[in-house]
Amino acid sequence: MTPAAPAPRVALFVTCLVDLIRPRIGFAAIRALEAAGCTVVVPAGQTCCGQPALNSGARDEAIAIARRTIALLEGHDAVVVPSGSCAATIRAHYPELFEHDPAWLARAEAVAANTYEIMAYLDEVRGWRPDTALAATATYHDSCSGLRELGIKAQPRRLLNHVAGLSLTPLKGAETCCGFGGTFCVKYPAISNAIATEKAAAIDASGADLLLAGDLGCLMNMAGKLHREGSPVRAFHAIEVIAGMGDGPAIGEAS
Amino acid sequence: MSAAFSKRVDAALADPILKIAVERTAGTAEAKRAIAVDAFAQFEAARTRAAAIKDHVVAHLGYYLEQFETAATSAGAHVHYARTADEACKIVIDICKAAGARTVARSKSMMGEEIGLPHALAEAGIGRVETDLAEHIIQLADERPSHIVWPAMHKTSEQVSALFKQHHALPHSEETIPAMAESARRHLRQGMLGADVGISGANFLVADSGAVCTVTNEGNAELSLVPPRVHIVTAGIEKLVPSMGHAVQLLRLLARSATGATLTQYTTFYTGPKRAADPDGPDAMHIVLIDNGRSAMREDGLAEMLRCIRCGACMNHCVVFRQIGGHAYGGTYPGPMGAVLTPALDGLAASRDLPNACTLNGKCQEVCPVKIPLPTLLRGWREKSWREGLEPATMRQGIAAWAWVAQRPRLYRLAVRAAIFGMRRFGRGWIRTLPLASGWTAHRDLPAPDSESFMNRYARGER
Amino acid sequence: MSARADILGKLGTAAPPPGTAEALLADPVRPAVAGDRVATFLTALALPASGATHERIGSVAEAPAAVARYLAEHALPPAVFVPDDPRLAADWSGFALSLAITPDEPAVIAWARLGIAETGSLVFETGPHAPMLPNFLGLHHIVLLPETAIVAHLEDAALPGPQPRAHYWVTGVSGTTDIEGQYIRGAHGPRFLHVLVVGER
Repeated sequence: MTPAAPAPRVALFVTCLVDLIRPRIGFAAIRALEAAGCTVVVPAGQTCCGQPALNSGARDEAIAIARRTIALLEGHDAVVVPSGSCAATIRAHYPELFEHDPAWLARAEAVAANTYEIMAYLDEVRGWRPDTALAATATYHDSCSGLRELGIKAQPRRLLNHVAGLSLTPLKGAETCCGFGGTFCVKYPAISNAIATEKAAAIDASGADLLLAGDLGCLMNMAGKLHREGSPVRAFHAIEVIAGMGDGPAIGEAS
Repeated sequence: MSAAFSKRVDAALADPILKIAVERTAGTAEAKRAIAVDAFAQFEAARTRAAAIKDHVVAHLGYYLEQFETAATSAGAHVHYARTADEACKIVIDICKAAGARTVARSKSMMGEEIGLPHALAEAGIGRVETDLAEHIIQLADERPSHIVWPAMHKTSEQVSALFKQHHALPHSEETIPAMAESARRHLRQGMLGADVGISGANFLVADSGAVCTVTNEGNAELSLVPPRVHIVTAGIEKLVPSMGHAVQLLRLLARSATGATLTQYTTFYTGPKRAADPDGPDAMHIVLIDNGRSAMREDGLAEMLRCIRCGACMNHCVVFRQIGGHAYGGTYPGPMGAVLTPALDGLAASRDLPNACTLNGKCQEVCPVKIPLPTLLRGWREKSWREGLEPATMRQGIAAWAWVAQRPRLYRLAVRAAIFGMRRFGRGWIRTLPLASGWTAHRDLPAPDSESFMNRYARGER
Repeated sequence: MSARADILGKLGTAAPPPGTAEALLADPVRPAVAGDRVATFLTALALPASGATHERIGSVAEAPAAVARYLAEHALPPAVFVPDDPRLAADWSGFALSLAITPDEPAVIAWARLGIAETGSLVFETGPHAPMLPNFLGLHHIVLLPETAIVAHLEDAALPGPQPRAHYWVTGVSGTTDIEGQYIRGAHGPRFLHVLVVGER
């Protein structure tokens, strides 16, 4: 990073789950982005990217939400999202929603091209490395949307490798879906549970103290299953550890 | 979730034997495929080419059908067209009756299953010998296939052993899988050699030569199709390829994706009936080209699905299939490809659960040898189901209300505040039960929200 | 309307733009076959998935002796089915020869037109002197293949001109994984495949 370069003005889209359940992921994102030399703005009026509507087939509802989210996020140097699936909704699916609407398509594509999952942005765009520390052994689950729609695989590991004292241990089936699937987990709970049970067993067998991933939805599913089964493994969003906030309460621990 | 789907899923999840059986076969297939893909450095480029070949054919399907018909006819085969499953079955039964057939030997074909051929033959009083080992097991058990490559994957060796002892004249005496396979070999040989008609599907129809290509690892297709007097092929119209050179490029991907082999053991191109001086082969060859919804799929946004070469990789790698197996899907085709095809074949109203019972994790698309965007096609069915009002009212109203609020930030902030307040009444760290979220809390704990939302704290100046 | 007219009417029968199908044949994406084709072929043949064995002989005349050795090694009587194929002309008088194929033929001799190095496949065609059924009924399939007929790729297998009833590729022994995914040799077809590579040693 060249110190002389002007700080990019980055819009943080925190996502509805982070807003509601775990705000410290949003604050960790701000901390990491600022450490990487960005000026962070949080557009007021943000709600949800519309993924639940999109994945339920409610196209009109998804389009309506996408329009106002696009309008909110336009005009920044970059849009950064602490979730692979929400970033993929904006990057990969917003333009699909407007394939027959040229004016909105152009706006959707402009925002899409400028939208990044946070760890991909810090690693690939900013070339930034953390100088934080956490003495722990962690394992990493590759959430599906980030992995397959955005190619997020090496970026979080490169950043986590710079957290002093943190050792990463492999997770068997790290690329296998955890069974969350958004509304899938409540529409088909028995199937979701069967998948999550196997995932939890694999996480437990990794021997790690911590489970890390880049999507709060998947983390809630895996951590919730681990906790129900009495596993001692604690779960964090990877950006919390990267930003030096891995010493606080884990997901599900009262703050 | 429909009651029927729910019942099938519950039965599957409650069956510990099914889980073991599915894991053994699909797990082995997954591991073998990974090795084969690693050993083929240009696999990705080969997928791109394969998808392009299939897209070319699907775009010019009528042209290649006519070309195939001309070539096959001039090689001495009879070519028939069928719009529907019923038309196809009627053509096959009429040919069998005209040939005076008492028994047919059938080489595993998913198209035969799709059109209900086993049932049609039974109704016509024609004996049927299923010659693929797995289909033989299925026939003895009077069940339906649960996988397109391993139809009997849900059966354990103990169950197979019992079936063979009940039905084979000279069953195995030793309780090993090789001994059971040997018992089937003895039993089926006479059935294959004594059949009047052999019926197969087609893996490829070669347009320029009129050849029908089948692939098997057991050799049962050849043993079923050479001795009888008549060979009948039932094939979907999307099976066309312009030439053998195009088929070869798809064959390389088919075997690797299905079993991890570089090629199936037996790959045969049949062109017309036996020639006058040939020592063996059938006197007549009939090819039934079946639409059964495919031309409509091409026009209705499902053209990419017609690329499918039926390798089974999508189901072997699907987290949902691995839990519930094939029968729970309730259609001819299970897994991700089945979840796209079944609504087209059986109607969306009866099968709307299939495109929904998917986490959209994208693994199926990643392993598909012809790059079918399965998650996109499944989303397409969800949209259609939503448009047509097939989704449950609670879901429709819930999503609509939530979307309305999500477009009104002030209201949304109030809703978030209310949700935090409401949820925190049920717990401050982990929530063990939560009304209206029992789907979640029946199986796992739910982290309670923090005391205040991110947006509120940020607005107050917290960093 | 006939089903044919209906289906073709819906699909349309316009020809693809000239050259588009051919372009999809150019530079086929396939595993490289570098170096010695014969060695590559024999390596593929011996892979567990193929499960075949081989012996190199100098000429077709040496085939009967090689077959006799093979049968003896497998504790089989000197009895084989040899089709009426002029390419197999040799002194088979030391064997009990089946005149017609039987359902449980222990050993069958055949001639392969080509071998394919890429996959270890053997290429056969039916013809007046080349029956198909014996190659699937026999328990031991013994195939003569000229060393000079080993080609690199599957694309090289195509037979130009009018096609025979069947053109088929055999890649190893018959196998199945239909019971619990366990691999078993000799499901319906041959359990053993032995290739006699004919050429100057």
